[in-house]
Amino acid sequence: MTTITRIPTAKKRPNITAHVFLVALIIYFLLPLWWLFVASTKDPQGLFTGTGGALWFDKNFNLLANIQELITYKGGIYFRWLGNSALYSLLGGVGATILAVLAGYGFAKFPFRGRDFSFAVLLGSVMVPLTALVIPTFMLMSQLHLTNTIWAVILPSLLSPFGVYLMRVYAADAVPDELLDAARVDGSGELRTFLTVALPLMRPAVVTVLLLSVVGTWNNYFLPLAVLSDQNLYPVTVGLGGWQALAASNNGGGTSLYTLIVVGSLISIIPLVIAFLSLQKYWQGGLSLGALK
Amino acid sequence: MTNPAAVLRAPSRRRNLRRPWIGWLFIAPFGVIFLVFLVAPLVYAFYLSLFSKGLATGTTFSGAGNYVKAFTDPEFLSGIWFVIRFAVILIPIQMAVSLAAALVLDALTTRLSRFARLAIFVPYAIPAVVGTLMWGFLYSPTFGPLTDLFKVVNQSAPEILSSGNIFGGLLNIVVWQWAGYYMIIIYAALRGIDPSIYEAARIDGAGPRQIAFRIKVPMISSAMALILVFALIGTLQFFTEPQVLRPISNGSITSSFTPNIYAFDLAFRFSQFNYASTISFSLGIVVFIAVYIFLFASRKRRGGLS
Amino acid sequence: MKTKSLLAVVSAGALLAALAGCSPDVSAGGGSTDSAGGGDAGSCSNTIVNKDAPQVSVWAWYPNINTVVDMFNKSHDDVQVCWSNAGQGADEYAKFSTAIAAGTGAPDVVMLEAEVVPGFILQDALVDLSEHGADDVKANFSAGAWKDVSSGDSVYAIPVDGGPMAMIYRADIFTKYGITVPTTWDEYAAAAQQLKDAGGPFMGDFGSNVPAWFTALMTQNGQKAWDYESADPQKIGVNLNDAGSKKVADYWQDLVKKGLVDTKDQFNTDYIGGLANGSYATYVSAAWAPGYLTGAGASTEGDGAQWQAAPLPQWDPANPVSVNWGGSTFAVTTQAKDKDLAATVAKELYASDEELQDGVDTQTIFPLNQKMLASDAFADTPVKFFNGQTANKDVYIPAENAYEGYTYSPFTTYYYSELTKSMVSIIDGSKSGSQSLDDLQKTMTDYAKAQGFTVK
Repeated sequence: MTTITRIPTAKKRPNITAHVFLVALIIYFLLPLWWLFVASTKDPQGLFTGTGGALWFDKNFNLLANIQELITYKGGIYFRWLGNSALYSLLGGVGATILAVLAGYGFAKFPFRGRDFSFAVLLGSVMVPLTALVIPTFMLMSQLHLTNTIWAVILPSLLSPFGVYLMRVYAADAVPDELLDAARVDGSGELRTFLTVALPLMRPAVVTVLLLSVVGTWNNYFLPLAVLSDQNLYPVTVGLGGWQALAASNNGGGTSLYTLIVVGSLISIIPLVIAFLSLQKYWQGGLSLGALK
Repeated sequence: MTNPAAVLRAPSRRRNLRRPWIGWLFIAPFGVIFLVFLVAPLVYAFYLSLFSKGLATGTTFSGAGNYVKAFTDPEFLSGIWFVIRFAVILIPIQMAVSLAAALVLDALTTRLSRFARLAIFVPYAIPAVVGTLMWGFLYSPTFGPLTDLFKVVNQSAPEILSSGNIFGGLLNIVVWQWAGYYMIIIYAALRGIDPSIYEAARIDGAGPRQIAFRIKVPMISSAMALILVFALIGTLQFFTEPQVLRPISNGSITSSFTPNIYAFDLAFRFSQFNYASTISFSLGIVVFIAVYIFLFASRKRRGGLS
Repeated sequence: MKTKSLLAVVSAGALLAALAGCSPDVSAGGGSTDSAGGGDAGSCSNTIVNKDAPQVSVWAWYPNINTVVDMFNKSHDDVQVCWSNAGQGADEYAKFSTAIAAGTGAPDVVMLEAEVVPGFILQDALVDLSEHGADDVKANFSAGAWKDVSSGDSVYAIPVDGGPMAMIYRADIFTKYGITVPTTWDEYAAAAQQLKDAGGPFMGDFGSNVPAWFTALMTQNGQKAWDYESADPQKIGVNLNDAGSKKVADYWQDLVKKGLVDTKDQFNTDYIGGLANGSYATYVSAAWAPGYLTGAGASTEGDGAQWQAAPLPQWDPANPVSVNWGGSTFAVTTQAKDKDLAATVAKELYASDEELQDGVDTQTIFPLNQKMLASDAFADTPVKFFNGQTANKDVYIPAENAYEGYTYSPFTTYYYSELTKSMVSIIDGSKSGSQSLDDLQKTMTDYAKAQGFTVK
């Protein structure tokens, strides 16, 4: 949408410091992931007393065996968790985006009474500490008999105040009132106007909010921990956390959970990284959050 | 001659077209969820916070009494003190790293810079639980590279998971996890600047560093202020990383380490739901005050945050 | 206009509905009639064998519970167990107490460690099983084990496994440095010094994350921390800083100061790694240690490492005291739909020969059930972890049989949290052992008073 043409600047000096800085950053940010990959290839003995140190491979390359153990442990519960995470983040993320887009558009384009007040309340809600909400949310869900169902996780995930903020800011900037009026004059209803005129113009922001919501729900830990007690419904964050707790106390019960935790962590990262890679052009592109200036 | 008043009073087509209250309809779906899952629980939590229940007694109304107790509770106050100290040190570091990275990435268009952009952002895509677990392993004397690295220079590695060093250890994890997120927001704001401004500056003889600091940074100051506020709020509510690190922290992360952890323990481990709600709200009050102070102090330097 | 008021009504309605079920008395608990019950407590992680039989929901986290439940379901057609894992230890307790407070969502039967049972009794979360035939199984357990789950004539849980304490040691390290197996704590300290002087590894570890371990050791020297009866719950006696306890605290602080023991948190990878690679000559531990260590990958068969079990060192060899660390039970919750049926499950789950044998074979539990404990097969089992030593007969069974039980407070979790802080100050030397206990005494007394107890 933004057609800012960048005049290629002739960089005569090859900017070595900048590149060195970038390489340092890359190493820093990717180091733990490298460690994770290397650790996933070790068997339990190798993790504890392996050769090659922490950052290099052990003599046994055990990755496939580890993955196989992950698949079969407790009847494949890990992949069930992965599926749950995917379900929650897709439904929650898409739902949150829809709600945020609609609300942002409403805030941006309709000067109704009480708009500024409502918006201030919205922004204020970001300041609410999570722990204040979890217990009463649990109580509420119990009354509605929703605890221990997928809705206990999905419904609260539909809330994205920051998403509404982003959408409002973007809609105000990117969707000209004149276009909307023109559509209305032509007899288009409000919903049609929104869908055919405004929405296409807001696409980069929509994708950004979608990505943020999906990531946020995927990474959610505290809420599902509180409202779910059936481990078949756990997302992968809670599942891994549970294994960690199990491993860190007297109940490994014959399996070294640490290898599973390490491989499980590795695999849990892959879907999101792929998502980011494939949606690169949206969030790396010229997302002009003009009103932020 | 047209009577202006009459024009204003006459039902203009323009006004009929924009029926403001339709805005409510668009907001409604979000609004319902907001009311049910945020306002309602919040009201209930506030209600809870006004009562107190001892393990051996029934529930009594104590009104503001709980709040007095909270603000004179040394465990709550030590938690507040910790998150304030943490925020004061963390946020400048985070901003510096994200800003520097964003500026460099904005200036370069090489393949390395594109890869770097991705690499810096990836930690944000990792659940905090997993990220903290990984760093826990990296910090561990047995499994991390520190022992081996320090052996090379014939020193013993510092014990990061101990009360002396846990502050730095947590600092590192949070910077690692969130720098990419802030960087992307700054980067997006930078990309929105009209490059013709740079051209003008270059013609005037400005070098890249001057362009960066005298032009770019001021132009994105609103974006900076926004993420500063979010960083402040998030840091004061510090919870996940220390909570995940607790089992391996060798006693350095206690139940009152941060106010949110204290509230969590009160509710879920000591079954004191009422006081837990009070602590949560008290934390909310502190956050509100901190944000207000920040916004007030920075209002002259901001370009008017919407 | 119309839409607006419609919206207002809907929103108000949602708010009202949300607040309708809520009351300020959060621990309304106690037999909520609206228990749509079992369904809320989770769908089954196991398969139901007899689909016509009524189901009882169970929360448990034993690693082999799946097998145990299957065995149970196959052998019962009057009731079926619907099991799910709601987390381990504190995580499960958090869910459980929230469900109790909310009035719904708790299972019929819940796995609880003995130390948290009084706390849940106080929250009206558990059913008195003496009215549901608990006496049928009383003979299956030692007096100490039964005391841990009782309060006067009431019984609130059925024991499953326990943790009689002993000292396991590296025989090869002892041989290498010429150490004889200590039988008293004085000998233990002397051996530790001997090891250090000869350049050997740590004698043991004093970690701040094992308050239950520390409590047991202080109990061994006469501490009677709590004077509490669930039948008379308004009163409690707190006695944490008697001379015997102070002696224990100062003793361990001395070992820490002299560098004779390490101060790592237990159960994490560093500690297990240390146990596996010979950084510790002994591990003062409970009967479930070998199973745990094997599962964590720290067994050291074939590496020349030789673990052996020996009785716990004593303060007074003429009057040996057995203590316990850990152990779990099954309790029936007040939200159970059919309390008799749930009680049947609590009594019979993990109690058949087959199920107990599986627990022993997988090294999951140290069973308290006398059917296993008193059997020759169990006693004579050559324990792999100890290179074939009949550790049960030599060490653990006598310890369990000599165990006299313990009185827990109704706020164990809070107590452990505060005790951990005391242990941290013992470790970093900011307070002496005696001073730490004096401060702890004050903290806990103040807490009890603030919670409305009359402190005896």
